[in-house]
Amino acid sequence: MADPANDFIRDYQTLAQQSWDAWTRQLLQQQQPQPVANPFFTPPPPPASGNDTLERTLAGLKGYFDWMQGAAANGAAAQPVDWRQQLQQLFGGASQPFAQAFGGIDSAGAEGFARQWQSWQQAAQHGGFGDLPGAHGPTPAFGQDREQQMKQQAMAAAVLASLQASARYQALIQRSNTQAMQRLQDKLAERAEPGRQIDSLKALYDLWVDAAEEAYAEIALTDEFREVYGEMVNTQMRVRQMQQQQTEQFCQQLGVPTRSEVSSLGERLQALRREFRASSAPATEDHADEIMALRRELAALKRQFASGSTAAPTTKKAAPARPATSAVKTSVSKAPAKVARTAVASKAKSSAAPSSRTSPRKRK
Amino acid sequence: MYTPLRIDPTKALGDIAAFQRKLAAGMGHLRSMREPEYANTPRELVYSEDKLKVWHFKGSHKPTAKTPLLIVYALVNTVWMTDLQADRSMVRNLLEQGEDVYLIDWGYPDGADRWLTLDDYINGYLDRCVDAVRKRHDLEAINLLGICQGGAFSLCYTALHATKVKNLITMVTPVDFHTPDNMLSSWCRSMDVDLFVDTMGNIPAGLMNYVYLTLKPVRLNQQKYIGMVDILDNPTELENFLRMERWIFDSPDQAGEAFRQFIKDFYQGNKLVKGTLEIGGRPVDLGMVTQPVLNIFAEQDHLVPPDASRALGRHVGTTDYTQLAFKGGHIGIYVSGRAQREVPPAIHQWLSARD
Repeated sequence: MADPANDFIRDYQTLAQQSWDAWTRQLLQQQQPQPVANPFFTPPPPPASGNDTLERTLAGLKGYFDWMQGAAANGAAAQPVDWRQQLQQLFGGASQPFAQAFGGIDSAGAEGFARQWQSWQQAAQHGGFGDLPGAHGPTPAFGQDREQQMKQQAMAAAVLASLQASARYQALIQRSNTQAMQRLQDKLAERAEPGRQIDSLKALYDLWVDAAEEAYAEIALTDEFREVYGEMVNTQMRVRQMQQQQTEQFCQQLGVPTRSEVSSLGERLQALRREFRASSAPATEDHADEIMALRRELAALKRQFASGSTAAPTTKKAAPARPATSAVKTSVSKAPAKVARTAVASKAKSSAAPSSRTSPRKRK
Repeated sequence: MYTPLRIDPTKALGDIAAFQRKLAAGMGHLRSMREPEYANTPRELVYSEDKLKVWHFKGSHKPTAKTPLLIVYALVNTVWMTDLQADRSMVRNLLEQGEDVYLIDWGYPDGADRWLTLDDYINGYLDRCVDAVRKRHDLEAINLLGICQGGAFSLCYTALHATKVKNLITMVTPVDFHTPDNMLSSWCRSMDVDLFVDTMGNIPAGLMNYVYLTLKPVRLNQQKYIGMVDILDNPTELENFLRMERWIFDSPDQAGEAFRQFIKDFYQGNKLVKGTLEIGGRPVDLGMVTQPVLNIFAEQDHLVPPDASRALGRHVGTTDYTQLAFKGGHIGIYVSGRAQREVPPAIHQWLSARD
C-alpha cells in the first residue's frame, strides 16, 4: 500500500535533485569560455577544471544539499524514541558531508592521486609502454628491454607504495569522521534542555562542523598523522619523479628539450647573476662579516653594561609571560580606548623594566 | 525527558526549499557580478627588478612621519590583502594616520625564478628595495613592517643589515616553528623536501591552497560556501565575499629553491630560534635585532599560532620590545572592522613615539 507521506518526500527529492542539476548545469555553462573568432588560431579545449572556485563552491553546496535531502528523508521524517538513533539516521547515509568536504578540494594544482595515476596509465599505454609490468610483483628482467622493464617495475612498486600511503591517510580521515560523530553526540547531550535544543538541519550541520573540525584537528596534530602525511607526500613525489624521468627519456629520443635541461640552464644563469652582483658590489660589502662581528661584540657589551653585570654573556632566560596590565607604560597602551581592548604586553623602555632584558643570548 | 533534537520534518523540507530558492534567486546576482577590484589606493612605482615591484602609496594628505615604512609581505598569496577594499585597507588607514607607506609586491614567480634562494630574496631583492627607499628619502635607516613569512624575512634582514632598519614591526610572524599547535609545521616535518622540490620545481599555488584548505577542511571547503548562499541576495556582501575568494585563490607559485630552504631551515630545523640559521652563508642571530620591535599577532590564528609569534620576545636583542595581541585570525587582523579601528592606530602611535 502506498505511503502518501513517503511518496511526497520521494517526489519532492526527485524534483529538488532535478532543480539542482539544472541550476548547476546552467551556471557552469555560462562560465565556459566563448570561442575566439580567429581563423588562425584554434583555442585549446577548456580544461576539466574550467572554474576552480565555482566547482569547489558547487561541490561544497552539493555535499550540503545531498546531506539535507538524505537527512530529511531518513532522520527528520522518522521520530524514534532515542535521539542517538535519530542522529545515526541523519548522518548515516551515503551522503556524508565530511567526505564531500574532502572530496571537493581536489583542484587542478593538487590533482587527486587516483586521477593522476589513471591519466598516467592511459598515457603510458598510448605512448607504447603497454601494460605496466611489475604491477603484480617484481619479475626478473632481461634482454634488450631490460632497463625499460626494470624502470616500469620500479614505477609499479612506487605506485603501490603510494596507494598504500594514501589508504593510511584515508583511514585517519575516516577515524576523524567517526570521532566527529562521537563529539557531536557529546555536544548534543549538553543541549537537551528547552531553549538549547537543535530544531533545524542548519543548526545541526553547524554543530557537526564544530565537532568535525575539533576531531580532525586533534588527529591532524598527532605524530601518527605527521608520519602518514609525510609518507603520502613522499611516495606521491617518487611516482611523479619517475613519470618525469620516463617522459624526459621520450623527449630526448625525439629531440625535444626537457624540463631538467631548462632547469639546469636556469640554475647556471642564476649563479652567474649572483656572481655578477657580488663582483659589482661596493668594496665595503667585502667587510660585511667583519663589521657584523664587531657589531655583535658591541651589542653584547652594551647589554652587559646596561645590566651592570661584568659576567660573560649567558643564555638569555625566556621572558616571563607578560600580563596585559604590563602594558601600562608602553606607547601602545596609550592608544585610543578601542585599541586598549586588545591584550598588549610590552617590555618597558629604558629604566622601566631593564632587568627583563639584561641577560643577552649566548653567542655562537 | 527532553531530547536535544527537535527537527520537524515539514520544517526540514521547508529549509531545503528555502535553500534552493535562495540559490535560484542568487543566480541573477552572480551573473551580474564582475571580478571584484581591490581597494587600489593610489600608488606609484618607485623600483622594479625582475618580477618585483616597490609601490609608494599616496594618501589624501602628506605624511607626517619622518621615516618611511616599507611593508614586506610573504611570498605566499598576494600583497593586496593589505589594500583589499576601500573600507578594509591597512595601507589606507596607515596613510590616514600619517605614515609614508611603501610595499614590496613580489610578483608571480615562474620557471625562470626556480633557483631564487632565500639569500637572493633577503640579501638581494629585499636589500635593494630597502636601499631604493632609503635613497629616495636620503636616510640611513627606514622602518620595516614584515607580514607572516615576510616578518621572518624582515627579522633575518634586520639581523643582517642592522644599520638600515630603524624600527621593526612584525605581524602574524612565525618565529618558533615547533610549537605543539602548529599544524603546518607538524605536517611538513616528515616530508622529504628535497624530493618534493626536485620533483615539483616551483611549488604550484594550487597545491599551497589545497594544503591551507585542509587545515580546516569542512569549514573552509563547505561551510563557508553554505554561508555564501545567505548573502547571494546582497550584492555588497557578495562582492566582498568574491573579492576575498579572489585574493585567496589568485596566489603566486613558490620559487622552488627558496621554498626548499624555508621548509628545511624554518619549519623543519627551527633554526631561527635555535640560532643556527644562515642566509647566504652569514649567520642570522636574532640577538642582533637591537632596534625597537613591535610584534603583533592574532589570538585565533590557525596558520601562525600565537605562541609561534610570542616567542620573538625571548630571542631578540632589543630592550624596546612591545607585543600586541589582536582578537582575531590570520586574515581578520587586516580586514576585519576591529582591525581597521585598532591595528593601524597602534602601529602609528608606536612608530611616532620612535620617529
